[in-house]
This record gives sequence, C-alpha cells and structure tokens, in this order.
Amino acid sequence: MDARHTFDFLTNPERFMAFSRWAAPLLGVLSAIAAAVGLVLTFMVPEDYQQGDTVRMMFIHIPAASLSMFIYLCLGVASLLSLVFRHVLADLAAQACAPIGAIYTVLALITGSLWGRPMWGTFWVWDARLTSVLVLLLFYLGYMALRGALEDEQKAARSAAILALVGVINLPIVKFSVDWWNTLHQGSSTFLADKGDHLPAIYAWPAALMALAYLGGFGALWLVRIRALVWRRKARSLAMKLAESAR
Amino acid sequence: MSFDFDAGKHAIYLWPAFAVSAVAFAWLIGDSLAMARRWRREAERLQAELESSKP
Repeated sequence: MDARHTFDFLTNPERFMAFSRWAAPLLGVLSAIAAAVGLVLTFMVPEDYQQGDTVRMMFIHIPAASLSMFIYLCLGVASLLSLVFRHVLADLAAQACAPIGAIYTVLALITGSLWGRPMWGTFWVWDARLTSVLVLLLFYLGYMALRGALEDEQKAARSAAILALVGVINLPIVKFSVDWWNTLHQGSSTFLADKGDHLPAIYAWPAALMALAYLGGFGALWLVRIRALVWRRKARSLAMKLAESAR
Repeated sequence: MSFDFDAGKHAIYLWPAFAVSAVAFAWLIGDSLAMARRWRREAERLQAELESSKP
C-alpha cells in the first residue's frame, strides 16, 4: 500500500466513519472489561500501611490525572493539524475531545481533593501541581466557551485552536511542577517512576488495568463524539441544500 | 485475597470519589451516544427530505 494512504482511514471522513463504526464499540468493550477487572482488584488489594483504604482512590485518581494531560495533548495536536492543513476531521477531533478532557480533569481534581483531606489534612492547597491542573481545566473550559461564543464556525475553530496551542505550554508545567517546585503533592510514584519511588507490585495490576480502562474509555468516547460531529456537519450541509432547492 | 469494602473512617472520602467517577462516566457515555444518535437521525431525515423533493 502507498505510504501516503496509510492514515486515510483517519483523514477521509467516509473511511473514518467506516473505521470508527467498529473501532468505537470495540474500544468501549475492552475498556469495560479492563475497568471491571481493575475494580475487582482495587477492592481486593490490601490497604496501604500509610494511606490505609484511601490507596484505592489512587486507582481512579492517577488515570484521570494522566489522561487529562494526554487528552490535552491530543487537543493540541488536532488543533495544530487543523490550523496548518485546515483539515475538517482534525478540527472535529479537537472539538470532540475537549469536553472529555474537561471531565477527566474535574475527576482528577475531585478525587485528588477527597484523597488529600485525610492524607494532607486539607481538600485544597495552592501548590504548583494542583494550581497547574486547575489552569488546565480553565484552558479546556476556555476552549469550549470560545467555540460556543463565536457564530462564525471557521473563526471559532481558528481562535479556539490558537488558544488550545497556547495551553500546551501548561502541560510540562503540570508534569514537572513536583520537580521544579516544593509541592505538597508528591512526586511521580507510578511504575515509570525512579526505582525506590515506584508503585509496589501488588498495586501495579489494578493501577495498570484502570489506566487502560480510562485510556480505552477516552478512545471510544472520542470516536463516538467525532462521529456525532461528522453527522452534524452533514445535517447542516443538507439543511442548506434543502433551503437552496426550496427557493 | 478477598473483597474489602470496609473503608472504616475513610469511607466518607472513598465512596464519594468512586460515586462521582461513576456518575461522570455515565453522563459522558449517555451524552456522547445521544449526541451521535440525534445528529445521525437528523442527517438521515434531511437526506430523505432532499431526495423526495427532487423532481
């Protein structure tokens, strides 16, 4: 196959619809299986000697927090492709992932706060990690607000894409905030962390499965929402044709 | 290993965290599917209308 056509299924709307028709439910089912097994393990692992039962919250907090950044990266890449190549599907992909990313970020903040109260003695502290994640949420909300505020769709898409790209600067700040500043939030302690800081093996399985569930869930929801936006675009174009034929 | 649902004094933090996550995912799934269904039906309806209006 010609290498130029390798990603046709993602760039050609017709092929994307054919691909996403089976890919979205498949990802959804795989995500549901990972979530089911992950949740069983979440409530089977022993409590942590320091965190007690609140360690179980880590299995929903860490994937939400990691995915909130990953989804923003997807938003940034899609926005860049939309700005540079003026590709319709890239714009729809950016538009579709913003609400999912905003919800994941809200979940990261809420579950983190609920974990912080018994562990740190407070729901919230204005440290660099928490504040930069709040800024991430504001970028998501700003992106959605800007898209909704402008009537001219092309202008809205371009303005929102520029805002999304500005927000990408915040991603390394979120990621490295715990290294660059003295924060109450602890440093990375997943399996990717330095030896000695990483997650104990018994907690690695539920953490990995829940991370896969959140990732697969995002993939499935993203595809479904892009499909919805493709249908909406088609409906608007048909409505215009109908109006013209009625004249 | 067996299930351990007794979170003791941490239950007031643990269960709301899981409940909020469950509600958020239920809303995301419901909203995404409803949005896709609504626009697909609208596009199909307009397509049928356009075809029927052709002479």
